[in-house]
Amino acid sequence: MTAEASGPKAPPRQLDVMICDDNIMLLEVLREVVESEPDMTVVATAQNAEEAIRLAGRHTPDLAVLDVRFPGGGPYAAREIARRSPRTGILAFSAHGDSGAVGEMRHAGVTEYLVKGATNREFLTALRRLGGRLPKS
Amino acid sequence: MTAPQDSSGTGRPARRQASETAFTLLVQGVLDYGIFMLDPGGHISSWNAGAERIKGYRADEIIGRHFSTFYPPEDVAAQKPQRELETAVAEGRLEDEGWRIRKDGSRFWANVVITALFDEDGVLRGFGKVTRDMTERRAAEQALTEHRRLFEHLVRGQEQERQRIAWDVHDDTIQSMVAVGMRLQLLAGRMPEPYAAELAQLDHTVRDAVTRLRNLTFRLHPPGIDRHGLVEALTSHLSDVVESWGLTHSFEHRIDREPSPERAVTIFRIVQEALLNVHKHANASRVALSLESVDNGLLTRVKDDGNGRPLDPTAYHGHFGVMEMRERAESAGGWWSLRSEPGAGTTVEFWVPDLPSTSEDDVPTPGPAGDGASPDAAAGDGTSPPAATGDGASPSPAEEEGP
Repeated sequence: MTAEASGPKAPPRQLDVMICDDNIMLLEVLREVVESEPDMTVVATAQNAEEAIRLAGRHTPDLAVLDVRFPGGGPYAAREIARRSPRTGILAFSAHGDSGAVGEMRHAGVTEYLVKGATNREFLTALRRLGGRLPKS
Repeated sequence: MTAPQDSSGTGRPARRQASETAFTLLVQGVLDYGIFMLDPGGHISSWNAGAERIKGYRADEIIGRHFSTFYPPEDVAAQKPQRELETAVAEGRLEDEGWRIRKDGSRFWANVVITALFDEDGVLRGFGKVTRDMTERRAAEQALTEHRRLFEHLVRGQEQERQRIAWDVHDDTIQSMVAVGMRLQLLAGRMPEPYAAELAQLDHTVRDAVTRLRNLTFRLHPPGIDRHGLVEALTSHLSDVVESWGLTHSFEHRIDREPSPERAVTIFRIVQEALLNVHKHANASRVALSLESVDNGLLTRVKDDGNGRPLDPTAYHGHFGVMEMRERAESAGGWWSLRSEPGAGTTVEFWVPDLPSTSEDDVPTPGPAGDGASPDAAAGDGTSPPAATGDGASPSPAEEEGP
């Protein structure tokens, strides 16, 4: 557990989020959804695995939202992000709800998985849970 | 044998002669086989009705001529007739299939057996030759092979097209609609009533459409069949689709190895159709799927506990579905059957051979645009074991019960 949940006065530190999706429309709306929350900031966006891995190494964000079918390979990106920035929690966000895709990401060490089409609230809840701001499901 | 005493003198030879005459009549009368003899040098010394029918020569036209007359010039040039006699002498017999020439110069496809005939002292007395005209059978086999080849082409083309559409819908349409839905939710949070409610309603409609589109892409292309194999694809289909119909399901599988991609698709599509029939017609509450390796192939069974009414053959879909299932199985060289027992349910059962194939495996299965090129797809997935063990990437246990 992180230490910042201690003092009654200290506001919780912002959660730094990196968003990785090759669909520009989605990338933009995800950024907006995250930015409109007071406790989260988008620190980076990436449209392919190489970019995502590089930015993860530079920013070591608290959270990364990662498309499963990502140019360069979602599971590959997940493994590399975890290697460069072990503190980053990864939320797999995918148009695929089938168990094969879920298993593939789980194999790469991803624990949070959300199918595209979930509501913004579900998306934010998953992020906060992963960021340690909510009890584990 | 209780033969009469030799004292009678004439009894045995007479009977022997009668039986030889009958035998000669048989040989001469048979129409389906050309049966004739060659002298040790390969010249024709006897002829029957079948040989006349097949080759077109009368006995008086052909007896005394060399049997290489029946061979095409290229075979004669290659000394094939002579080699066939030599082989028959060395090995006792020779069997061959190939083109032969009739009297009118036309060709026919022949099955030929040449047997070397030796007397009691081991001296070569000549050859027996039996010829069958296989032209029609060969044509029928070729027509069947051609039919199967065309069907496989059709299936492959159809699958590739479905897959392309599925990926397009997945990668583009669904993503865009998801983005639209999320933006509508953002807007709904910023707008006063009544706009907020209206936007929320719009978002709801968009998300329902996304769900329907996702189900459509699942039906169009079984997710994971080319990357995770047949068992995984069937498991997903049961949990993602069949469960949504409210059917309880079980799945038993004992397969020795992953079938070829074509076979996997054949089996998946038949099972998919059979399950759709259960959903639409059987009024069943549970369905049992089983898959096992039998006789160099895969035996699959889909059994429900429904009303067991046979499918209405006049209903277009039911009829078409049955035709398609049977056609798919038979084109793959297997069989397909449907048993209905009123009150006891319906069982669809089919077997398709799955021998390691030579030509089919050469056809690459197009992978997904993004992941297919990834180092992960190359390294990680290539090593995954057949899904029957139920560990690793596959979340499916060997037997899975629905809720």
